[in-house]
Amino acid sequence: MNLQPDDFWTFSEWLFRPGAFLESAFLQGVVLIVLAIVLGLLVGYVISAARYGPGEGFYAVARAIRDLLRTDLPGTSPSRIVALARLAFKEAIRRRVLFVVGLFVVILLLAGWFLNPESDDPARLYISFVLTATNYLVLALALFISAFSLPQDIENRTIYTIVTKPVRATEIVLGRMLGFVAVGTVMLIPMGLASYIFVDRGLDHTHYGVVEANEIDGRIVGKTDRVRKHQHTFTIEAGETQGLTNFVRGHRHVVTRHDDGSFTIGPPTGQLRARIPSYGEIQFYDRNGDPKDSGIDVGAERLAGGYGSAGISRLIGVAKGNRKLEHSYVEGGTLGMAEFTFDDVTRQRFPDKIPFDLSIRAYRSFKGDIESGIRGSLTFKNPDTGFSLTPKQFTVEEYQIDERELPLTFEWLNKETGEVETRNVFDHVVTEDGRMQILLKCLDSSQYLGVTKSGLYLRPAESSFAWNLTKAYGSIWLQMTMIIAFGVMFSTFLSGPVAMVATAVCVLLGFSAESIYDTRHFIDSNIERGGGPIESLVRLVKQDAMTTQLDVEGVANTLIKSADAVIVYTMDAVATALPNLPRMVSTAEYAASGIDIFNAVLARHTVATFGYCLLAFLISYFFLKAREIAA
Amino acid sequence: MDTDSTAVADSADENTPAGAAPVAARSSATGSDVVIETRNLSKIYKDFWGRKKVHALKSLDIEVRKGEIFGLLGPNGSGKSTTIKLILGLLFPTSGRVLVFDKDATETKKNEQIGYLPEESYLYQFLNAEETLDFYGRLFDMSGRQRKQRVEELLTLVGLQGARHRQLREYSKGMRRRVGLAQALINDPDLILLDEPTTGLDPIGIREMKDLILALRDQGKTILLCSHQLGDVQDVCDRVAILHQGELKELGRVTDLLKVQDVTEVHASGLSEEAKNEIREVIARHGADLKSMDNPTATMEDLFLNIVRESEARPGARRVSATASEEPAADEPAADEPAADASAADGSQAGSDKS
Repeated sequence: MNLQPDDFWTFSEWLFRPGAFLESAFLQGVVLIVLAIVLGLLVGYVISAARYGPGEGFYAVARAIRDLLRTDLPGTSPSRIVALARLAFKEAIRRRVLFVVGLFVVILLLAGWFLNPESDDPARLYISFVLTATNYLVLALALFISAFSLPQDIENRTIYTIVTKPVRATEIVLGRMLGFVAVGTVMLIPMGLASYIFVDRGLDHTHYGVVEANEIDGRIVGKTDRVRKHQHTFTIEAGETQGLTNFVRGHRHVVTRHDDGSFTIGPPTGQLRARIPSYGEIQFYDRNGDPKDSGIDVGAERLAGGYGSAGISRLIGVAKGNRKLEHSYVEGGTLGMAEFTFDDVTRQRFPDKIPFDLSIRAYRSFKGDIESGIRGSLTFKNPDTGFSLTPKQFTVEEYQIDERELPLTFEWLNKETGEVETRNVFDHVVTEDGRMQILLKCLDSSQYLGVTKSGLYLRPAESSFAWNLTKAYGSIWLQMTMIIAFGVMFSTFLSGPVAMVATAVCVLLGFSAESIYDTRHFIDSNIERGGGPIESLVRLVKQDAMTTQLDVEGVANTLIKSADAVIVYTMDAVATALPNLPRMVSTAEYAASGIDIFNAVLARHTVATFGYCLLAFLISYFFLKAREIAA
Repeated sequence: MDTDSTAVADSADENTPAGAAPVAARSSATGSDVVIETRNLSKIYKDFWGRKKVHALKSLDIEVRKGEIFGLLGPNGSGKSTTIKLILGLLFPTSGRVLVFDKDATETKKNEQIGYLPEESYLYQFLNAEETLDFYGRLFDMSGRQRKQRVEELLTLVGLQGARHRQLREYSKGMRRRVGLAQALINDPDLILLDEPTTGLDPIGIREMKDLILALRDQGKTILLCSHQLGDVQDVCDRVAILHQGELKELGRVTDLLKVQDVTEVHASGLSEEAKNEIREVIARHGADLKSMDNPTATMEDLFLNIVRESEARPGARRVSATASEEPAADEPAADEPAADASAADGSQAGSDKS
């Protein structure tokens, strides 16, 4: 999992962006609400002026606002909202939407055939599959139930018997939204349970026996049999009856030796994880040992993406360029290195040992010894005194999390006395205020190790996988809530199918936001990368490459470019205003990678969701209020 | 009231037999008693581009007073439903105003005192009768106990206790109509708007609906109904407005509008042939013109209702009769029904001679 800069923000950093307020979510929210109000007033005035004339139109708009503040908001009754929500709930249930849960179970059953438990990282495969399936199924369902209900009520005129009761527009909108959210919640719970069982059972396997066991000085070293294309080695210490296998594909087993010399091997453990990481600050040094912002770039991955975190400052052109965090590489056999500085390394957080994980990539400039892998070293260092431990050598295991630990004591040769002493890490390697550095180097010359800020972290604690899966489902729930709010909003003034398409367009724009930002960036900075929609079409027809100059002369060229600029800028503005759904979908990646979903990330999504719901609620209210129900 | 007596039918109240008290109350209506008031009310339907499609209502000025049954009458497309929708705030007037209980029609608050039975019962098909009424009760913020009691009362009133747990999709048209009526009455409203209240009902249902409307009026409620069933309007309405092509053509008291000024009607029973001849002579002597003197025929409605009542009283028996006038047995149960008695005086005329 490759975390982006904004993933590390705390909730308040995200909300206020100290030092860069233009990028803050708070500002974006305020601007959105102000814009919605101004646009709403303008559109409202134009509509009522067309209906009643310019003077009377003004009063109509003023009356609508007065009604909202004086009667409709204070008069909104929770019990009526609940009654309407119950109705929406019953409506959905009696339309048999719960069949979708059945469909989900069928999908899981079919997936059981196709998901390969023999793959390298079966846990990731299974978890990301169930989460993705749930996500898109629930979003599609939210789209359908929310967009069609209100238009259908208006078409069937059942709404007549509602609006002729003392029911306010606020209650109709909120009742719908809450009812459908309740439906979605009722569906997510069994889907979550089914997912958990599916993942848990799908990853389960048994090794039936031991193919090789040698006793050396009472210590038993052996190998299990080969199941699902992997086998483990294990050791049972002298005098013990139980031992552990090594980690293969993210799991290990407990091996028990019986008195008669036979072995039994337990179920797999440790494959469903929720590591709670503690990240440090990263500093790169080039081959001469000079500090640099980043290491060596070995690809073009970081040329695109990551604009979204700049918020409004990107839209108005203050923040330029992408902010994507990609792997930066450290050259082997030189002074180049990556230096991680960790805070808050205390005895309370690490009472027994300091566990840390490596997630590092390797880049080979020549084939080298393909069998042994690329070697690196880790040096633990006290940033104040410069005291460091003997570098620990390791071989890079790519595309998986390499779990290691630092014991709290180390042996130290006292040069004055010539004796070997046992010293404590906290006394020597960690500073008084709890800082510690880890230096990452590559040992093979002309080979490279790639790392980002999230590539090396301490792991003070662990959460449960079940809870992490619940959090991932919470994120799906938030997306569903957002889509229901949008669906209900569009359905207050559009017919069912049109409302659904409008909501779907919003979702798709949200999903392609980063590509739109990219396109705008390329247009702004005159980089040939295919251009806007019209230019792309021309290139497609003419079969021109993306990176060549557009092969159109004169006025036509100017026309195409200007029209594209207008389109792209408009799409940019719209996409900036829309919720960043891909970010919410990507929480599934945390769960799949076995990392506890950051609470700050979940809190941000929650606040953003309710912000958008509030916006959708206000817009819905005015549209419903201004609408002639019987027309 | 005047079952067997000889009535000289030139009083103003021939068609409103419900007693003198409401009549007095209605005739003393003043400005403060106005429940619905439309001022210069116009509605033009426009298409999406704002082009005029239909001028549905042209400068309507009517007042509906407290405690009366007001009928909106007119052919299809005359603006009846438009008027009701404007009164409910389902449509916004193009010009003019509607005041309901002195409030603007678009205000939600007025709905607390209003009951509305739409043209067809637009109800949620997936709910059953009890759930439907409970749901509408919740919309009035009624407490659980209040709701339960009210639902019970209304189900009894409209006669749906037996079908309370069936989904509305299984209901017949008449049953849906009854649920529709029950939901309109859930809040014990002061003003009841009925859009075509008798469509889809069988004759018994129509009669019950009419009785109910009159009973509600007697409880002091104001009723506005629109219909093109002229008979219904004549039977129950105190005042009517007749609309045609969006314009108000006639407005006034039903009895005034329908009274034929220079014709006198006499109903009598037990007259001998000589007596009839004597009356003919008297009329001739006064130089008046005798238009007709006949045995009146009962209406199909009366005949049907009598048959059904008979059948309920003596199930299985097939009614065989030569003429309606020779069937005194059919008359007696009818006379025992107080509702029928109160609703229409003509119900008791079957079998009596007319001179």
